[in-house]
Amino acid sequence: MSIRHHPDDATLVAYGAGSISEGFSLLLAAHLEHCPRCRGRVVETEMLGGSLLETLEDAPLSGGGFDAVWARVCADEEPAAPPSPPPSQPRADGLPAVLAAHLPGGLEGIRWRTLAPGIKQHVLRDVDCGNGTIRLLSIAPGTTIPQHGHGGSELTLVLKGSFMDQIGRFQAGDVADVDVGIHHQPVADTSEPCICLIATDERLRFSDSLSRMLQPFFGI
Amino acid sequence: MEDSPSHDELIEWFTAVALRRDRRAFEALFHHFAPKIKRYLLRQGAPEHHAEELAQETMVQIWRKAHQYDPAKAVPGAWVYRVARNLRIDRLRRQRFYEVDLDQVAEQADETQDHDRATDQIDGEQIRARVEELPPEQREVVNLAYFEGLSQSEIGVRLDLPLGTVKSRLRLAFGKLRKALGEEV
Repeated sequence: MSIRHHPDDATLVAYGAGSISEGFSLLLAAHLEHCPRCRGRVVETEMLGGSLLETLEDAPLSGGGFDAVWARVCADEEPAAPPSPPPSQPRADGLPAVLAAHLPGGLEGIRWRTLAPGIKQHVLRDVDCGNGTIRLLSIAPGTTIPQHGHGGSELTLVLKGSFMDQIGRFQAGDVADVDVGIHHQPVADTSEPCICLIATDERLRFSDSLSRMLQPFFGI
Repeated sequence: MEDSPSHDELIEWFTAVALRRDRRAFEALFHHFAPKIKRYLLRQGAPEHHAEELAQETMVQIWRKAHQYDPAKAVPGAWVYRVARNLRIDRLRRQRFYEVDLDQVAEQADETQDHDRATDQIDGEQIRARVEELPPEQREVVNLAYFEGLSQSEIGVRLDLPLGTVKSRLRLAFGKLRKALGEEV
């Protein structure tokens, strides 16, 4: 997978800081599985976290602090052999493992809901996104998503197929990271449907009245 | 308390805990990290008793996971930070945080050209020095993200700044850190 579009560094910093929604962390982890560059960046954001931790003034623990912890670790069973590393082999269908856990039937088994001609969606309801959402969209070849802007941030990860917008062409593994004021109008530009994972932290704002009428259907 | 332990001392303590289950080394780690972890949790909004309890819990997890720590792949402080952050999201925010195995990843990254080597021979002190040098407005957004757990939109609201400004400050601060790591930005 050759990845050309990455999340903004500011987004990766927010991930390392742990100051993003569950939905954003899911989408970013799905990208990280396939992206050594961004994994390296995340390691760096955690180094920043470690250094920041060192800058904090001590908040002394009450007297028995260490003894309490020592009593707990002594009560532990002898640690079992280190657990084997989690299997992170890429799946044959290219579906990121963190996402596969939410899609028992894989991409083929998704029960889509049609939103508009050529556009189907599946919302991941068991993921906490605050005021936003996380959903899969399937966009038929040649179909355009109505032009919209964003109240907050929106991350899009391409899982299959590709789309074009004003920024460029996005293929499997690529992330589009857009925020406030950006108006974009993605169009699926290959012969197969484009399947994307899209997470938002605020509701989207559609630009024209027709799209605003569609908004309730998108539920976004 | 005495001066901060050096990078090498921290690594020595971690190794002693991982390989020999050494009580004295663990106690040294506790005295260095637990009060900082407790402050971190207080800043994140935990009430006093909860912060104390979670700081202890973090140290218990560090003991249990010590065998996973590999000094070739992570700075001790960064590793401790990760454990504390994950516990904070789980217990204070009651949310999941999706991660991938970054350590495993470093190996794979070595095979790619587009590779950003971060952890080889990196010493936490260099980064800390760079953090201290950040301009106040960059340091402020970094602190709000890391210590108050505010999202970028929330930082914008708190400081009355456009989201784009928040992002660019975070990017700049991170860029300076990366320079300290000897990366081409």
